[in-house]
Amino acid sequence: MAVYFAEEAQLHTFLREAGPGKTYAAVRREAGSEYALLGPDADDEPSLREARPGVSPKRFLMPPRERVARYSTVGEAGAEAPDESDEKEEQPEPTTLVGLRACDLAAAEYLDKVFLEGDFEDPFYKARRENQIVISVDCTQVHEKCFCDVVGGRPFAMGGFDLNISPIASGYVVWVGTERGQALIDAHAKLFREATQAEIDEVKQSREKTSEQLREQSKGLKLTEHLQEVLSRLEESDLWDKHAAQCVECAACTNICPTCHCFYLYDRAAGEGKAGEFERIKTWDSCLTADYSRMAGVGGTKPNPRATLRTRFANRFLHKYGFSPIQYGVLGCTGCGRCMEACFGGVDIRKVLDEIDKRESETAAGGRETDA
Amino acid sequence: MTVANPYAIQMADLAEVIDETPTIKTFVFAPAEPIAFRAGQFVQVTVPGLGEAPFTPSSSPHEPERLAVTVLKTGLVTDRMHDCKAGDRMGLRGPFGKGYPIEKLAGKDVLVVGGGVGLAPLRALILALMHDLGPIRRMSIKYGARDPSELLFRSEYDAWTRHDKVDMAVTVDRGDPSWTGNVGLVTTLLEQDRLGVDVANTVAFSCGPGIMLKFVTQALLNVGLKPEQLYLSMNRRMSCGIGKCGRCNIGPYYLCKDGPDMNYAQIMGYANVF
Repeated sequence: MAVYFAEEAQLHTFLREAGPGKTYAAVRREAGSEYALLGPDADDEPSLREARPGVSPKRFLMPPRERVARYSTVGEAGAEAPDESDEKEEQPEPTTLVGLRACDLAAAEYLDKVFLEGDFEDPFYKARRENQIVISVDCTQVHEKCFCDVVGGRPFAMGGFDLNISPIASGYVVWVGTERGQALIDAHAKLFREATQAEIDEVKQSREKTSEQLREQSKGLKLTEHLQEVLSRLEESDLWDKHAAQCVECAACTNICPTCHCFYLYDRAAGEGKAGEFERIKTWDSCLTADYSRMAGVGGTKPNPRATLRTRFANRFLHKYGFSPIQYGVLGCTGCGRCMEACFGGVDIRKVLDEIDKRESETAAGGRETDA
Repeated sequence: MTVANPYAIQMADLAEVIDETPTIKTFVFAPAEPIAFRAGQFVQVTVPGLGEAPFTPSSSPHEPERLAVTVLKTGLVTDRMHDCKAGDRMGLRGPFGKGYPIEKLAGKDVLVVGGGVGLAPLRALILALMHDLGPIRRMSIKYGARDPSELLFRSEYDAWTRHDKVDMAVTVDRGDPSWTGNVGLVTTLLEQDRLGVDVANTVAFSCGPGIMLKFVTQALLNVGLKPEQLYLSMNRRMSCGIGKCGRCNIGPYYLCKDGPDMNYAQIMGYANVF
């Protein structure tokens, strides 16, 4: 497919006008970038040259709270519950997401595997994704917490977008990923021209520069070889004590993490106070909280399989780096580093990775210790 | 929306509530659309307005139009369930999970080990096997409860053991003046001389409290069963039922989709199994 170029003013016009439905974009803010509604008259400027926003676009894929079922104790049992108006209400309006970084696309790919693969699809997630246009952007700035290169990522996207924007000095090179993306360009053809080879070459140089910045920042941090096997040995190790001691169980990391998707289902009254009408709500939850896995039963029956914070902390880490590759074929970490920014206790996931790597190389050098 | 909604709840009236023991009741549903299930699969039961909890049916999978769950009164949802009467409206979702690998049992000695209310899901297995005992070599049921009053499905034991291929041994932790049977934990029924199955040819299924599963596992490994011959009904907080909400994992397995009965060889390497 063709590669396009637009100057800044034209691209901004395009981003404001092109998308069907509401457009949510990473926009510039004093304290950094964040996702916000990009209206036609908004003063907000899309943030395309800054480091990734502090909060991921997860909420547009998986809203913090949504209704997934309704039920009623009145009328005939087993009758089809939702009437037509409910069905319409469940149909999401189209949205356009602008400014997703490569790590955000990796996270979306991960969530797609969780909610769309296996024996059951999540129909609400599916409908949202099908009605979503994704316009991503290359990273030309690196946040101090970024480490996507360590977990197999790159600071620019190679797929998973409808359109991808590469900032260069004179404007923006735009890559087409899907026919849907091409149609958006075609509908606003006046704002674009074909990119020159020199402009495409500049993109390549820019991407190399950002990648080099990341490598420098990561200072040799790497995933331990055979990390999955190593982690399975470490599940009950004392390694976790020190790091878990910093955790305040606030769930900031799981909320901010673009791949953390665990949720809670709860019921509440619905139907504007009509007796016997209820709805089931799906809401974000966190595996670090004490009651997350707690079952019914008295203490002696061990109703909480992960009663200590250390085991919950280990489970979260293992899910990211050990279990996700088994479950979905990819890591559950995109290296966006947002968990470290959000953590009140100063937990640094890079340090955990580094410590595991050092322990392993020491163990390999000095004979195998029997851990856990 | 063309995709079926796995969160959707089918409302069903309680057809019958049976008092089983002082702490356990059986709830029989007659859903408008019968829920076909495999023995060992579970359903989510909704108490309207309160929420749902997972239960593996105790009834025969050959009678889906009378789906029953047998429930110990032990928490928010089950407390409220125990207050319910025939005619009360509840919600159902499912079935979820894999179910017992009944197709792998041809020619096998099937050892069924239950503790307390743990006999409930095993009853579905027992009834499914009793439906056609031809393929299996034999079935030996070992069951333990706290005291004689807590023995579940007591009136059915005779019918189960009427068949040559089936035997059953029962024990209680504490007897009472009328009790003349075994006293001791269920593991006492798993000693070599009392086991009554060909160990090398056995597939064992166990369900009960976590601590009981731990000691049953040890006892069965001690008499020579290999981990892969052992299926444990693992209990975790299964909520969504579709392997997405995250809370019921053992290692990379979600019990709601990969279990709830897990082959011990699959999970033994992971933390917090018992």
